[in-house]
This record gives sequence, structure tokens and C-alpha cells, in this order.
Amino acid sequence: MGDLLTLVAKRLGYGLLTLLVVSILIFFAVELLPGDTAQAILGQSATPDTVAALREELGLNQPAYIRYFDWLFGAIRGDLGVSAIPPHQPVISVIGPRFTHTLFLAAYAAVIAVPVAISLGVIVALLRNTVFDRVANVLTLTSISSPEFFLGYILILIFAVKIPIFPALATVPTDVSFGELLYRTFLPALTLVLVVTAHMMRMTRAAIINLLASPYIEMARLKGVPPWKVIVKHALPNAWAPIINVVALNLAYLVTGVVLVEVVFVYPGVGQLLVDAVSKRNFPVVQAVSLIFAATFILLNLAADVGSILTNPRLRHPK
Amino acid sequence: MSTFVIGFYTILIAASAGLAYFKQDRWFMMIFSLTLISFITGIIGGAQALRSIAIFVALLAAAAGVSYTFKEFLIRIASPNVAKELRTAPLTAAFGMFVIFTYAIAGIFAPIIAPFGEAEVISSAFAPADANMLLGADQLGRDIFSRIIFGARNSVGIALMATMLAFISGALAGLLAAVKGGWFDQLMGRLADVIMSIPSLIFSLLMLSIFGTNMTVIVIVVAIIYSPRVFRLTRAVAGNIVVMDYVEAAKLRGEGDWYLVRREILPNSTAPLVAEFGLEFCFVFLLIAGLSFLGLGIQPPTADWGSMVRENATLISFGDITPLIPAAAIALLTVAVNFVVDWMLFRSSGLKEQ
Repeated sequence: MGDLLTLVAKRLGYGLLTLLVVSILIFFAVELLPGDTAQAILGQSATPDTVAALREELGLNQPAYIRYFDWLFGAIRGDLGVSAIPPHQPVISVIGPRFTHTLFLAAYAAVIAVPVAISLGVIVALLRNTVFDRVANVLTLTSISSPEFFLGYILILIFAVKIPIFPALATVPTDVSFGELLYRTFLPALTLVLVVTAHMMRMTRAAIINLLASPYIEMARLKGVPPWKVIVKHALPNAWAPIINVVALNLAYLVTGVVLVEVVFVYPGVGQLLVDAVSKRNFPVVQAVSLIFAATFILLNLAADVGSILTNPRLRHPK
Repeated sequence: MSTFVIGFYTILIAASAGLAYFKQDRWFMMIFSLTLISFITGIIGGAQALRSIAIFVALLAAAAGVSYTFKEFLIRIASPNVAKELRTAPLTAAFGMFVIFTYAIAGIFAPIIAPFGEAEVISSAFAPADANMLLGADQLGRDIFSRIIFGARNSVGIALMATMLAFISGALAGLLAAVKGGWFDQLMGRLADVIMSIPSLIFSLLMLSIFGTNMTVIVIVVAIIYSPRVFRLTRAVAGNIVVMDYVEAAKLRGEGDWYLVRREILPNSTAPLVAEFGLEFCFVFLLIAGLSFLGLGIQPPTADWGSMVRENATLISFGDITPLIPAAAIALLTVAVNFVVDWMLFRSSGLKEQ
């Protein structure tokens, strides 16, 4: 067990280090701005007074490394600075409610996609090289190759315009029941499900086929173990690692995919906020949202690695 | 029961009976299951549903026919060696090659093919299609068809440039890392780790917010984001070749690093690299399309597929599919490239399954 814990601890340490480096990158990228940040935000027509006021507001009068540590420790405590655009709200209060919406949408998609994709992936792997497999291959490839906004608009066209059963825009009023919320956000969730399911199916299929080709499965079959027992007792313990990996990688993918889908369906999440902040050059918000997305991405990848270490039978039962 | 419905079922049943008689088992199963499916959809959706099934099957058949003839055409004009390889190509790969060929023609000869200029305002906003304009006008009264043709040049061109830059820098770094090893290898590896640990769309949005949205910035940023993938692959492939005896021999001869890369390693790692180029292009193309869709990629008035979807999206709520055509063009090209890459990967036995 000692080895296992060391491995996990090492991986955790490495993940934290990556997160730190990424935070440095996100913070100092903005320092690369030619000239003054306050000037860049306000544009050429700003008076020296307003520029000076904004500099004071953003704390730009201190050296960069001090501001970095202020920003980092603030971020850990949940204080991400103030928005650069009037009325200068704290970034955290802008992001907070939207982040819940984004997480809700991603979770909604994941709850549908994960079981469907894994069971379909296993079925396709067992039926490999049949017509069914070929058709599934072409369909998943098409789904992966389509931009998210293409799938989104097709769903709007079919399920909101031609057959109006779902709303085209996923607006979320504050006081709606949970069922109503699920109904309103069904189309964006379905778009994400289509993309992620295709990815997960292909990866699960590859992992299972890889596994079924290994000699010990052949051995189990030859000595007369019943087929279901081959899968449950022999294949599954070794399949957990690749499956956990597949799921975590795709959850991480959801984090990025959500930006485009939110814009298509005008869903009030962080993705829309990010796009908005980028076009208005609202750097504190861009930095904060980038940090949150990057942290989620890194944590999910970390979870994938730790999960596959913990479920690896070879590491769990050392000789 | 209209004549269409009767004809539809007669053809299907006659075809399945014929196939069963001539013992074409796979085709029989496919056609007969199609017949069964159309029974059900016919009862639920009526003649309209059958009509869409018929159109779908006809399109599929047309695509298969075009792919087959295009493949035969390539086999006839290619040199004997290439022709031998082409004969092994599945129909999907031939279809992919045909689509890529069509896009290349559209992109190269865009000013000749397109009836109007890409920024030319010729009618009122959202004017419907007429004899003059095949697909109608966009939100400023420009011809959508012409803009789609020009989009083949702009969207694909910029994605191709970014891919090439990513590929050259990534492959060069990977090859050097494999040859030199040591601190250079370590440094490059860690750098790749960091870049890959930030979601690509988020990273590009961050960079674009800082450096502004113009073509050069987009190409460089996207190249930086996707070069680590190429780096890792090249490093892995080259790492297997560096330990070969003939590389050792070349080293003992006193050849320099550059010679090793150019004459010993590169010729032996082309197959996986070419396949990776195709995959990389798909990622880059989709990322740039996404950025343009968000209004942060290629800027107007340059015609571009991603931004065209965004500009005309309002038409969708009136049930008009024109805004989806540029999006479909993006998807079609990506699928086509993937089909060709699949075949190449299979051929270079990188992904051969039992």
C-alpha cells in the first residue's frame, strides 16, 4: 500500500505544480500587453485622470510579482479582484451564480452521456467489424467532426422550430422548479451529450478491444470460463482504469465544449461571460474565468490519473 | 396509397428478394432491414417520412458512386506504385479524397467560381433566393453562395497555415529532443505538459483578449496551442528510431544532429506524421471555426464559415437552413479528412486491430 500512496501523492504534487505554473502563465500573459493595462482597457480617448483612477482601482501601481501573489492568495480565499468595467463589481459575485449554471449544464450532460456511452462502447467493441460497428463508427466520427454550434443549431431547427417541443433559448429565471429547469436546458445538454458520447464511445471501444486481445483473456476462454464470467471477473478489473480515464477526459472536454454551446443557446453560464469579457477586454474577469476553467480541467485530469492508479490491480496487489 | 409509396415498397421488396436469391447475404440483410424500418416509419410518419428515407438512400448511393468513380479515376492517372496503394482504399477514404479535392478547387479558383465579390453588397438584407442569388442574401445583402465559396479559401487557408506552423515547430522540437535528450528534452516536455493542461479554447480566448484579434495572432496562438501534440508524437516516434543501429552508426561516423534528423530519422517516421498532420488540421480547423463563431476569429468583411453561421443565425428561428450550410461545410471537410486519416493510420498499421 505504501507504494500506491507515494504514487498518488507524487501525482497530486505534480498536479498542484502544474496549476501553479498555469496561474503564473495566466497572470503574466496580461503583463505582456504593450503599454499600460489601464490605458488598454479604457482606449486612446481616456483622460489621464480616469486612467490614473483605474490604475488605482486595479492596484497597478505595485510591481508585478507583488500583484501576482496578492491575486493568487486572493483567489485561494475566493477574492478574485474587481471587474475592470463599471460598476466594478467583485469578480466573484459576477462569476458565482453563472458558474453554478455551467456546472449544472455539464453535470446534466454527463449524467446522460456517461452510462449511454460506456454501454454502447462495450456493445460496439463486442460486435466489432460488423455492419453495426461500421455504422456506429461513421456516425460517431461525424458527430466528433461537427462543430458544437452546428449540432446545436440542428437541434434548435428540429426540436424548437419544426417540431416546437423544447424552447430554443435556454433562459433560466431564478424561481423555477427543478423539472422545469431540466426541460428548459434539455437542448444544450443534448448537444453536449452528442459530442461527448461519440468521443467516449470510441475511446471505450478502443480500450475494450485492446483488453480482449490480451493473452490472459484468451486463456480464460480456452479453459472454459463462461463468457459473462470472463467479462466480469477477468476483463472488468483491468478495464476500470481505461474507463475512468475516458470518463474524466471527457468531463474535462465538457468544460471547454460548454463555452460554444452556452453562446448558441444564450445560456447564462461562465462561457458566455468569458466571451463577453474577452471582447470588452475586461482582464480581471478573463483571468479569473481562465483560472477556474484551467483548474477544473487540471483537477479532472488529476482525478483520472489517481483513479486509474487506485483501480490498477497490479498496483493494488503487489507481489 | 400514392404511386410513390407503392413504388417505394415494390423496389425495396424486389431488391431484397433478388439479393436473397443471389445469396448476397450482407446486402440482403441491409436492404431488408431498411424495408422493415420503412414499414414502421411509414405507419408513423406517412408518405412524407418515406420520401425523406428515399432521398437519404439516394444521396448515400450518389456519394458512394462518386467516391467509387473518383477512386477509379485516381487509380488510372496515378503512377503504378501509388495506384497499388489506392486500390486498397475503402470507399470512405475515396469519398474523403473527393471532398478535399472539391474544397481545394473551390478555394483556389474562388474569384472565378463565385458570381459576386465576398464583400459586395448586391441586394437588401436577408433577401430570399432568386435566379441571381442561389442561396439568398445575408444580413447586409451580400450573396451567401459567393461568401461560402470565398470561405473555402479564407477558413481553410488560415487553418492550413496554423497547422503547418504548429507542425513544423512541434516536429522540429520533437526531433531535436529525441536526438539531443538531456535538459532540452526535459524542458520541452514540461513546456508541452503546461500548454496541454490548459483547455485550448480558453487558452486561445485569453491570448486573443490580450493581443487583439487579427490573422497573425490567431495563426501563432493556435500553432502554439497545438504544437505540443505534434511534439509528443514526434518525440515518441523518433525516440524509437534513435536507438536503432543505423543511427548509432551514423553517430559514430561523426554526423551532426541536423544530418541525423534529416537523413536518418525523418524518412523513417513520415507515415505517422502525415496521419497526425490530418488529425491536427481537424482540431485546428474546428478551434478556429469556434473562435470565428464567437466573433473573435477571422474578422469581417472577410468571408468565413464560422462567423457566417453567427451572423445569419436569426434565420434559423424562421425554419431557414441557409445559416447551417457553412457549418455543414466545416463538418463535411473535417469528416473527409478524418476518413482519409483513418485509412492512412490503418495502412501504416499504427492502429491495426485484430
